[in-house]
Amino acid sequence: MTTAARDDATPLPWADGVYSIKRHGTSLTNCDTEPVQAPGCIQSHGALVTARLSDLTILQVSENSAQYFGVAPDRLLGQPLLGLLSSEHEQRVRSMIANDAIEGNALFAFTVPARADIAPLDVCVHTMSGVLILEFESSGRGAASPKHPAGDFFSAVREAVGRMQSTVGQRAFCHRIADEVRGITGLDRVMVYRFHEDNHGEVVAESKLAELAPWLGLHYPEADIPKPARDIYQRIWIRPVPNARGPLIEMMPLANPDTGKPLSMTYCSLRGASVMYTEYLANMGVGASLTMPILMDGELWGLIACHHRTPTTFPHAMRAACELLAQVASLQLKSSDRIEELAYGLKVEQIHRQLVAKAAKEGDLLALSDRQPSLLDAMDAEGAALYHMDRWWTAGNTPSEEQLDALADWVNLRPEFLSLTRPVFVTDMLSRDYPAGAEISAVASGVIAVQVSRLRRDLIMWFRPETIQTVSWAGHPDDKPLVPGPNGMRLTPRRSFELFVESVRNRALPWMAMEIDAALRLRLLIMDLAMSEGERIIALNVDLASSNEELDAFAYVASHDLKEPLRGIHRYAHQMVESADTSSAENRQRLDSLMRLTLRMDSLLDSLLHYSRVGRTNLEFEPVDLNDVVADALEMVGVRADNTNITVSFERPLPTVLCDMVRVREIFSNLISNALKYNRDPHPRVELGYIRPDELRLRPNLPTEAEGETIYFVRDNGIGIEARHFEQIFRMFKRLHGRDEFGGGVGAGLTVVKKVVSRHGGHVWLDSTLDFGSTFYFTLPSQAHASRIRE
Amino acid sequence: MSRTDHVLVVEDNDDDFETVVEAVRRAGIGNQLRRAVSGADCIEMLLECQKNSSTLPALVLLDLNTPSVDGRDALLHLRQNSALHMIPLVVLTASANPRDIATAYGNGANAYHIKPVNHATHLEILQTIFTYWMNHAELPTHRSLTK
Repeated sequence: MTTAARDDATPLPWADGVYSIKRHGTSLTNCDTEPVQAPGCIQSHGALVTARLSDLTILQVSENSAQYFGVAPDRLLGQPLLGLLSSEHEQRVRSMIANDAIEGNALFAFTVPARADIAPLDVCVHTMSGVLILEFESSGRGAASPKHPAGDFFSAVREAVGRMQSTVGQRAFCHRIADEVRGITGLDRVMVYRFHEDNHGEVVAESKLAELAPWLGLHYPEADIPKPARDIYQRIWIRPVPNARGPLIEMMPLANPDTGKPLSMTYCSLRGASVMYTEYLANMGVGASLTMPILMDGELWGLIACHHRTPTTFPHAMRAACELLAQVASLQLKSSDRIEELAYGLKVEQIHRQLVAKAAKEGDLLALSDRQPSLLDAMDAEGAALYHMDRWWTAGNTPSEEQLDALADWVNLRPEFLSLTRPVFVTDMLSRDYPAGAEISAVASGVIAVQVSRLRRDLIMWFRPETIQTVSWAGHPDDKPLVPGPNGMRLTPRRSFELFVESVRNRALPWMAMEIDAALRLRLLIMDLAMSEGERIIALNVDLASSNEELDAFAYVASHDLKEPLRGIHRYAHQMVESADTSSAENRQRLDSLMRLTLRMDSLLDSLLHYSRVGRTNLEFEPVDLNDVVADALEMVGVRADNTNITVSFERPLPTVLCDMVRVREIFSNLISNALKYNRDPHPRVELGYIRPDELRLRPNLPTEAEGETIYFVRDNGIGIEARHFEQIFRMFKRLHGRDEFGGGVGAGLTVVKKVVSRHGGHVWLDSTLDFGSTFYFTLPSQAHASRIRE
Repeated sequence: MSRTDHVLVVEDNDDDFETVVEAVRRAGIGNQLRRAVSGADCIEMLLECQKNSSTLPALVLLDLNTPSVDGRDALLHLRQNSALHMIPLVVLTASANPRDIATAYGNGANAYHIKPVNHATHLEILQTIFTYWMNHAELPTHRSLTK
C-alpha cells in the first residue's frame, strides 16, 4: 500500500513526499487509503536502524536514537553499522545475512546489554529489498512482565497446544484459544474475532478479567478493521502495540537516501500504529494491544485480539509463543471449521431427507409444511415459505401472503432458474434486485429460492432478516456513551457504526455455500419425489390396463362358456328338426322356437360383450370428418344412394371433430338404423345436422351440462317416443315394443350410443312427438375436453 | 399332394366333433378324419407321423380351448417345428376374443373361424373350410418336408 499505487482525483496530503503518520495521519478520513505498511514512524518502545545491505552503512535511524543508543541520528547516518554495534554483534548480523532466511522474516539476533540508564535491548534483524533492518526493543526483563517473569514460554506453549488439540467443536476451540493466549500473556482481555463474509467481525470467544464488560457476541462493522489492516495480517503472525498512548517516532530521513522510497515496515514489530487505531483503542480504554491473525487456506479467518488496560511490554519470547499459538490455532481451526460445517450440513441434510421421506410416504409435498421437524429446523433461517397446491405454507417470520405472491411472481422469472446445474436464486440483499424488497427487508433481506416443480410453479424460499435486526452491534449508540477522540468525532466506534448501518441496511447475513447446496439438494429430492409420483401414476395405469385386459378376457371367456351350451341346444334342436321322427307340426314349431330363442340369447350375449368393450377400451382420438363417418354408417345400415324410398338429408355439411372414428360411426349407425327401423311412414326420412354454440336456434331439452357445446342431431319422421320413455330407452335391453316388432333387435343400440357419447365427455338426449318423429341430440366436446376424458 | 391325406381335427367336445364329421360328409371329400382331444395329443400324433415317416395330415383343424396343452400352445409348437410348420392349419373355436384372433394369425394360423351358435351356420362354415382346402387350395407335398 503505497501512495504511488493510488490515482484518486484529489492528491493525498503526502503525495509530494513520503508519508509519515506523525505528519499526515490525523488528516485522514478514510482508513482504506492509509499506507499502513510504510507509516514512516515507529512506536516509542524501541529504536530502529536501517543499513545498506551491501556495505552495512547506516541509511535511516529513528529520531529517538539518543534515548536508546545515547547518540543523535545525525551522528549515525552514513556511518558503518560497526559504529553502533560491538564487533561481535556486527559479526553475528553478517552471519545471519549470509546464512539465515531473514528476508521479510525478523529473527531475534542478540541482546545488547544494559548501559547506564538504558535497559538491555533485544535486537531483531531482517532484510527487505536490499535494506537491513535492525529493531531494538527493551527486552522487558527490567520491567515486570505481566505473567511470566521467568519467561518459560516453551513449556507453557507445549501444554497449551496439548489442550487445544483435545478440544472438540469450533466454539469450544475458540474459547480454548482465548484462554490459552490469556494464560500465556496475562493480558486483561483476549478475544477471538471472526470475519464474516461481508468482512464485518464478530467476537466468537472471549477470556477476560471478571470486572470487564463482556464483548462476546458483539459484531463490529467492517470499517473497524479496514482493508489495509486486514491485508497486512496475511503476512505477519503478530502485531504488538505495547503502548497505545505512546508518541510516534519518525524515521530520519523519511525516505531511503539511496532510492528515495519510504521504508517498508511490514515485518517490523516496531511499525508505527495508525492514529485511527490508537484513537480507537483509547476510546475503548485500551492501553496496549497484541493481535495475531488466524488464517484458513491463506485467507484471514479472524484475529486473536488482546487488550490490556495499561501500557505494558511484550517480550520477544512471549511474542514468539503467541505467534506459535496463532499458527497452531490456524491449522487446527481449519479442521474444526470443516467438521463444524460438515456437522451443520449433515443436520440440514438429515432433516431435509426426513421431510422428503415423510412427503413420499404421504404422497404429498405438504409434509414439508409440518412443524415437527420443520424446514426451519434445518436451515439457519428465520423464516421459510412453501408454495404448493396454489397456496402458501409458512414457518417462522415471513413476508405476508400478498408480499409472497408478488415476490414469487418476480422470482419465478429469474434467469438463475434456467441454470441446468444450479437453479437457485440467492441474495443477501433482496432490495438490490427487487425494488419492493425494501418493504420486506425486516424479514426477507436474505433469500434462497428454489423451484420444486416446473409445471406448478411450486417454490420453497428461506428468509433471513436485515443484519441490523439480528446482531448486537458494538458501538451502538444505545450500548455505549459517546467518546470523542483527541481529534474530535472523526473516528469513533459510534461513527463507524453509523457508517456501517448505511452499508448493511436491507442486508442479511450472507448464505453459506453449504446452505445453498443444501437448498439445491432438497430441490432434487423433491423433484425425484415428484418424478416417482409420476411413476406411481404410470404403474397405476399399467395395473389398470392389465385389470382391464383381465376383465376383457373374462368377458370373452364368460361369453364363450355361456355360448357353448347354447350351441349344443341349437344343434340338438336342429338335428331333431331335420330327423324324420319329428312328425307333429306342433313339435316342429316348438323346436323352431327353441332355436330362435338360443339365437336371441346369442345376440344378447354379443351385445353385452360389445357394450362392455365400448366402456373399457381406449378411445383413439383423431380429427374425423363426420361426413365420411355418416357415409360409412349409412352403408352399414344398408341405406343406398339408389334407394329412392328413403331420404337422408343434410342441413349443411357436417364439421370435422376430434373423436374416435369407429365409435362415433357406431353412434350414427345406431341412430340412423333406429330412425329407419321405428318408422311406419311410406317415405322414411332422416335428417342430419348440427348446431354451433353461437347459433341462435332452439335446443329442446338441452341438459345444462351440454351448454356451450356443438350439438349434433339425427331427426326422423318415425313413430316417435312418449316423453315418459325418454330416460328408459337408453337402458340396456330395454325395448318399448314387442320382440319381433320393428325388425326385432336386442335393445342395446341406444345404450351403446349413450356409452360412446359419455366416453367422449358428451351428452345424449332427445325430443320427440308420438307419431310425428324423434330427434336425437348429442355432443362431442372439444379437443381439450376430450383429451382430459382420455386421461 | 395326395387328396387322400387325412385331416386332423383337434376337438375335445364330442358334439362338435360329430358336427365336423357331418360337415365332411356333406362336403363330399374323401379324406380320412383323425381326432386329437387336446393340444398335447395333437403334437404327439404329428410327431408319431414324423417318426414313422407316415403321411402327415393335409389339414389341421384346431380348437383353441382344449384341455391341458391348449390349441394356442399346440399352434406355437407346431409352427416352431421345421418338419411340421408347413401343414395348413385352420382355427375353429368359440372364442371371439380379438387377442386370440391376432395371436393365432401372428403365430401362423392359416385361417380363424368362430363356432356360431346357429347349427346350420356351423355346418356351413365347416363345409366351406373343407371344400376350400381340400378341393381348391394347393397344398405342400409332405415328402419334401420329411426328408
